[in-house]
Amino acid sequence: MKNARKTEYDVIIIGGGATGAGTARDCAMRGLKTILIERLDFTAGATGRNHGLLHSGARYAHTDPESAAECIKENMILRKIARHCIDDTGGLFVTLPEDSLEYQDAFVKDCLKSGIPAEILDPEQAIRMEPAVNKDIIGAVKVPDASVDPFRLTTANILAARINGADIITYHEVIGFEKDGNRIVGVKVKSQRTGEEDIIRGKVTVNAAGIWGYHIAELAGVKVNMYPAKGALLIFGHRVNNMVLNRCRKPGDADILVPGDTISIIGTTSTRIPFDEIDHMDVTPGEVDLLLREGVKLSPLLATTRILRAYAGVRPLVADDKDPTGRSISRGIVCLDHAKRDGVEGFVTITGGKLMTYRLMAEEATDMVCRKLNIDRPCETAVVPLPGSEPTAEDEERRAHIIELSTEQKAAEERHGSWTGKIKATSDSDDALVCECEQVSVAEVNYAMDELHVHNLVNMRRRTRLGMGTCQGELCACRAAGLLERHDKCTERNIDDLASFMQERWHGMYPVCWGETLCEVQFTSWLYQGVLGLDPEDSKDIDPSSF
Amino acid sequence: MKFDNIIIGGGLSGLVAAIESQRAGKRTAIVSAGQSALHFWSGAFEFLGGSGPHPVIDNPLGEAQKLPPSHPYQKIGVKRTQQLLEKVPGILADAGIKVEGTLSRNHYRLTPLGFLKPAWLSLDDYFMIDSPDNLKDKKYSIVNIEGYIDFYPRFLAHGLLQHGAKCEVTAVDIPALAPLRKSTTEMRATNISRFLRDDAVDALARNVNAASSGADAVIMPAVLGMFSDAPVQRLRSGVDRPVYFIATTPASVPGVRCQLSLRDCFTRMGGTFMPGDTVVKGDIEGHRLRRIYTYNFGDMPLEADNFVICTGSFFGHGLIANIDRIYEPIFGLDLNVEGGRTEWYDTNFYAPQPYMAYGVVTDQEFRPSLHGETVENLYATGALLAGFNALKEGSGAGITLATALHAASRII
Repeated sequence: MKNARKTEYDVIIIGGGATGAGTARDCAMRGLKTILIERLDFTAGATGRNHGLLHSGARYAHTDPESAAECIKENMILRKIARHCIDDTGGLFVTLPEDSLEYQDAFVKDCLKSGIPAEILDPEQAIRMEPAVNKDIIGAVKVPDASVDPFRLTTANILAARINGADIITYHEVIGFEKDGNRIVGVKVKSQRTGEEDIIRGKVTVNAAGIWGYHIAELAGVKVNMYPAKGALLIFGHRVNNMVLNRCRKPGDADILVPGDTISIIGTTSTRIPFDEIDHMDVTPGEVDLLLREGVKLSPLLATTRILRAYAGVRPLVADDKDPTGRSISRGIVCLDHAKRDGVEGFVTITGGKLMTYRLMAEEATDMVCRKLNIDRPCETAVVPLPGSEPTAEDEERRAHIIELSTEQKAAEERHGSWTGKIKATSDSDDALVCECEQVSVAEVNYAMDELHVHNLVNMRRRTRLGMGTCQGELCACRAAGLLERHDKCTERNIDDLASFMQERWHGMYPVCWGETLCEVQFTSWLYQGVLGLDPEDSKDIDPSSF
Repeated sequence: MKFDNIIIGGGLSGLVAAIESQRAGKRTAIVSAGQSALHFWSGAFEFLGGSGPHPVIDNPLGEAQKLPPSHPYQKIGVKRTQQLLEKVPGILADAGIKVEGTLSRNHYRLTPLGFLKPAWLSLDDYFMIDSPDNLKDKKYSIVNIEGYIDFYPRFLAHGLLQHGAKCEVTAVDIPALAPLRKSTTEMRATNISRFLRDDAVDALARNVNAASSGADAVIMPAVLGMFSDAPVQRLRSGVDRPVYFIATTPASVPGVRCQLSLRDCFTRMGGTFMPGDTVVKGDIEGHRLRRIYTYNFGDMPLEADNFVICTGSFFGHGLIANIDRIYEPIFGLDLNVEGGRTEWYDTNFYAPQPYMAYGVVTDQEFRPSLHGETVENLYATGALLAGFNALKEGSGAGITLATALHAASRII
């Protein structure tokens, strides 16, 4: 932070989601002196609260060909540069008896027009490929959908930015701007931990804060017509399906089921919400009912599968600047030069878009920053692999020999790709598993604390998947708290953090609190509040959205 | 098959009810589905200890008088509850389990995170103190087993420091444990306990002595003695200063030992223990439960004069919740559940949770009802009962044991 104060940056990026991290990477790769500022933790907003779907673009082929073309292009790029974040599942668009097969014909034509490979399958063939799909389907189309881990993807972009010289600070909120006339020359930040305020100077500031970018723009004295749209999703306790399942109809609610790691996710809903709710989102019983009702049509197995959690993210919908009513929503990427638009120099907003197009959004924002700084360097983010996705010598060796990895080695490698080798076990004890559901070892926890900006258990969960499995932190959270304490020696804070983490887990469980989920949480309550005696007096003040 | 009494559920409640029934000469059987709450036992039993910032220390029996009339202690009567519970240390001692503590005043146990929590009975080798003042200027050596991550020495040290104690934190190793570390999931309490026997305990004691010189006492994780307390005694006699144990996260080694000891006590008396079986239904005729059917015995019924149901709450599967209702799965007994699923919980994890107080409603004698009519020869106990939050009251074991002993007194 002291360094930050002295340095004048070329570019300040506000927001640690995929877009902000991607922009930091792109700016740093083009040689700009870069800093990224995140209010909470990476992926704490919409980036960490979506399907984790690597769209083929097929979903948009009929309604929004421009988005569809962007998606398939980025899809192919991410498969190359972010291979350790992607699980190439393939996807199906299935037609149910209640849907029309005529849509399928138009859908396939539109896909091909946008450059999306789409192959009509015989329903029986589709059922053989994906046995979890509803057996009553009357049509199926295979497309190159896949799943992408947004936590890993963002972390990899952060690491790339750092390797290229960027500074990264988390848990610092932007509370104001430094201005010189009509030019923004820096931001005023406040530490979420200590409350200390500081000023960071930069020639250009990029607002990449997703829906929170509305307030950032306001602080800068400009108005961006954004609308928060809530999308709710459910996580199932195991991997029900192996291919992404979509309904072949006009995009609607709860019509995508995505397998990811050890689980499957159904979503999403779409509801406009007021701005004062964006930090406090509960999934309502009505949303849970809708997701289940529609999800079961895609895969009847969902009716008998344990639901692990419910969660919701906020899409930043951006209204067309030409439409004062706000009804006409821009579907694609919105990159605003506030000098041209509002007469505020040195300030750029990048918004709209989707996780799929984060890299392209970053490229557009960085292009604009470079133009402002009169720098002419090409974007290389589409060709340079992300940290973890570089080809390694081990890859070659593995191709030559068959090397058997243990399940925990495989799990770590799925998370960290070619950087797995940086996880060093100094003794047998370091190989011990902290989180058995997700196979996270002591050494991986130590690596995350040393290298991946981990300050608390929620950060640890996002970097390693610790606590994301069927026990929802029941057995691993206290172990991990013990390890964090060993690392930073701050006992009181770590006990508070453990208490907060259990509340954060509960926040996603209570909307689906029946069946095995209720059994699990009752057991967890007896263990933590009873055996361990964790029963904080000020528990009602724990804010699960403050991580 | 015909018995005098059949106990459904093999946890603490079921075992104690069964032992008392068998002791009285009744032919008794337990049908036990699997693990119980003893498998994550803290090593202490609570009668009425309160919770978190509201502990009860001085006069728990007096506090029990203030509970509502529907509370199990009041239904039994506080005086009679006391009489029943005073038998507990003796019952446990018969099974080889030594506990200390009294109903007239709670003591404190030290939780694995370093908090002091009130308790009624604690295992005699566990860390227990009458008052936090006793900790002042004490020197403790907190000794972990190298590589064991379900024990948090620094949290304990921090907790003890708050009350003026001084702590040193170390970890010791012995060669006998090396094979465990070769696997990534074996350094857990129950596995360690299998290796800590005979000479390995002596080696451990030597290392503990070397690591704890100058301390008044040694604090260690409870990872010894799953099948008997001999390794615990051996360690304590080999270490130069007192050794006290702290609970670990599940599975609890002393909890498993307690469960097995009670089961063995019951079978030694001639009781029939049916492990790994689940009661699926029963025939209730003329307000009496005539026979039950289990998964293993299929259409061959088990008959008895009296039955006790000790199947626990949700995680014991004594109660089942699905998306739109909560029910008791064997007989469909009447419950106190009100409202749909949004009424079942509080959004604050640490607040009293409504679901914790759900259970079967009973008459004054703890006999549950079906469609409003009491089943005259069926008694319910412990966590299956309705109308109290044992976690927040700090009353889990007390209610479990008092209702089990009450039921036993009615069926013998």
